Amino acid sequence: MLFYVARCAAQLAVALVGIVTVAFFLMRAIPGDPAIYMLGDYATTESLAALRARLGLDLPVWQQYGMFLASAARGDLGASVVTGQSALAEIWSAVPPSAELAVAGMAIAIAFGVPLGIVAAVRQGTFVDVAVMALALGGISFPVFWLGLVAILVLSHDMGLFPALGATSEPGLWPAIHHLALPALVLGLSVAAYIARLTRSAMLEVLGQDHIRVARAMGVPERRIVWHLALRNAAIPILAVIGVTFAWSLGNAILVEAVFSRPGLGSTILKAILARDYQLVQAGVLVLAAAVVLLNTLLDLVYGAIDPRLRKA
Amino acid sequence: MTAATFELRGLTAAVPGETGAVRLVEEVSLSVSAGETLAVVGESGSGKTVTFTSALGLLPKPGRVIEGQALYNGTDLLSLAPESLRRVRGAQIGMVFQDPLTGLNPVFRVGDQIAEVLRAHLSIGRREARERAVQLLARVQIPDPARRVHDYPHQFSGGMRQRVLIAMAIALGPRVLIADEPTTALDVTVQAQILDLLSELREEEGMAMVLITHDLGVVARQADRIAVMYSGRVVETGRVDEVFRAPRHPYTISLFRSIPDLDAPAGTMLAPIAGAPPDPQRRPSGCAFAPRCFAAREADGCMSRRPLLTDEGHAVACHRQGMLEQAA
Repeated sequence: MLFYVARCAAQLAVALVGIVTVAFFLMRAIPGDPAIYMLGDYATTESLAALRARLGLDLPVWQQYGMFLASAARGDLGASVVTGQSALAEIWSAVPPSAELAVAGMAIAIAFGVPLGIVAAVRQGTFVDVAVMALALGGISFPVFWLGLVAILVLSHDMGLFPALGATSEPGLWPAIHHLALPALVLGLSVAAYIARLTRSAMLEVLGQDHIRVARAMGVPERRIVWHLALRNAAIPILAVIGVTFAWSLGNAILVEAVFSRPGLGSTILKAILARDYQLVQAGVLVLAAAVVLLNTLLDLVYGAIDPRLRKA
Repeated sequence: MTAATFELRGLTAAVPGETGAVRLVEEVSLSVSAGETLAVVGESGSGKTVTFTSALGLLPKPGRVIEGQALYNGTDLLSLAPESLRRVRGAQIGMVFQDPLTGLNPVFRVGDQIAEVLRAHLSIGRREARERAVQLLARVQIPDPARRVHDYPHQFSGGMRQRVLIAMAIALGPRVLIADEPTTALDVTVQAQILDLLSELREEEGMAMVLITHDLGVVARQADRIAVMYSGRVVETGRVDEVFRAPRHPYTISLFRSIPDLDAPAGTMLAPIAGAPPDPQRRPSGCAFAPRCFAAREADGCMSRRPLLTDEGHAVACHRQGMLEQAA
């Protein structure tokens, strides 16, 4: 088990280095110059050169990369060229609203997706199955910004159930939840569709296996067979799709934040890209990537806890 | 003869096909009494497994029983509500399947799987269920049961897994044990151990046992009575010694001829049965075995009328009985 944990940690480190490397070179491949952005179109050549020298942008790219890695290893991701604040600190301040949205969205996705997928599998071929799969197809097909706009129009504008704005400065838990509900629902339902489809196929496969037939022959109640004996077998593919869709929903969260005018990583990173704020973008990508990689590492550990055969591997 | 513990009467099970219901098994009547072993023999696809899974309400959809009764101590299982039938399965009638490698749930400890069966029928706590699981593992002769109860299926060999599955099947002291080719997937040396274990348990518990197999050697050693199935029907049934001494159905006769005989002179060829069993969708209108039968004759109705099982101790379903008996 200890070896398994160590291996997961090593994978985590390798993944993070890879991701920041890609982000570093991608940003520099995009045309545009932070010095011009900061000083304006009419800045003199000398002042531009001076700023570039101060930011280290006059060095060869590989040298910049080396310096970036060296300071990143010490936990220093540089300062935002726009605000002069620590890039990491600035990104951190945008994390809580995004984390709220992502966690609430995933919670809704799992709460809807897994039970619906199970019910569809158990009632394979019936009206229930067809209805759930049709809904899931819709959830996958409609883009989340469209779902968001429809949700605002129907649930907020017409029915007045939820506020159209996805955030509030009002203090207290209830206003926060009330404002979070609609964006989380929109984000969650599109992910729920994926989870429901995968849960259904994973359960169908398990329910056809010999050990389930044995359990039936032994008189184990059907409810227990489905929700305990079979679900535990189907848990690994289901958790795997949860891990994958989490990364995907972080991307969708940016769109949802925009539709519902919520603050968060999405708007922060978008502004940073437009301003060619290299440090801020890198810090943002690192945080997002770390969230995805950490979740998947955690899932790897959970797989080992669920399936004893994976622990030895 | 004592009243049968488990009896099938005219059981017919079918799945929907393109041109109406396809009958997987037809009018199967069998019975087995306490302390007795009935061997059900036939080639793959002859309906041995379908017969018993459908009798216990375990036939996968869309298959269903369209006629007949499955009597356990006089109660027709097929007329029971699903919940009542569930209480019989596992508790009164235990079943052991063919493939022990896939029969255990890979993500649960074997002790928990045995406990699951116990707790499906008894209101006992986890601790007691666990204790009984250890006793059951000891009962099926698994060494060091107190430790092994915590292991997962992949930590057991095939023979040991079959022992675990047998422990689950006898956990609640069933009166009937149905063993569906319990040794087919195992090594030859392990096969004998498992068969010995099953017959020991049958004797100690006084269970009625149904042994589904295609190994006539196993039948000779283990069974009291035999039922030979072909293409979804019982074609011959009787006491093992009678049937082995004087098989009456051409199919049974051919089966015995196809067994290698160690005492035969070197160079003697085996006599396989030519052809293949019919597809249940396209069974011949007469006797299903007629196209492969050495004795079939149109004049006796072999190609047009379905032969019915005679109503005797050593019963046979064949139009050509008179001829075969004269020849013998």
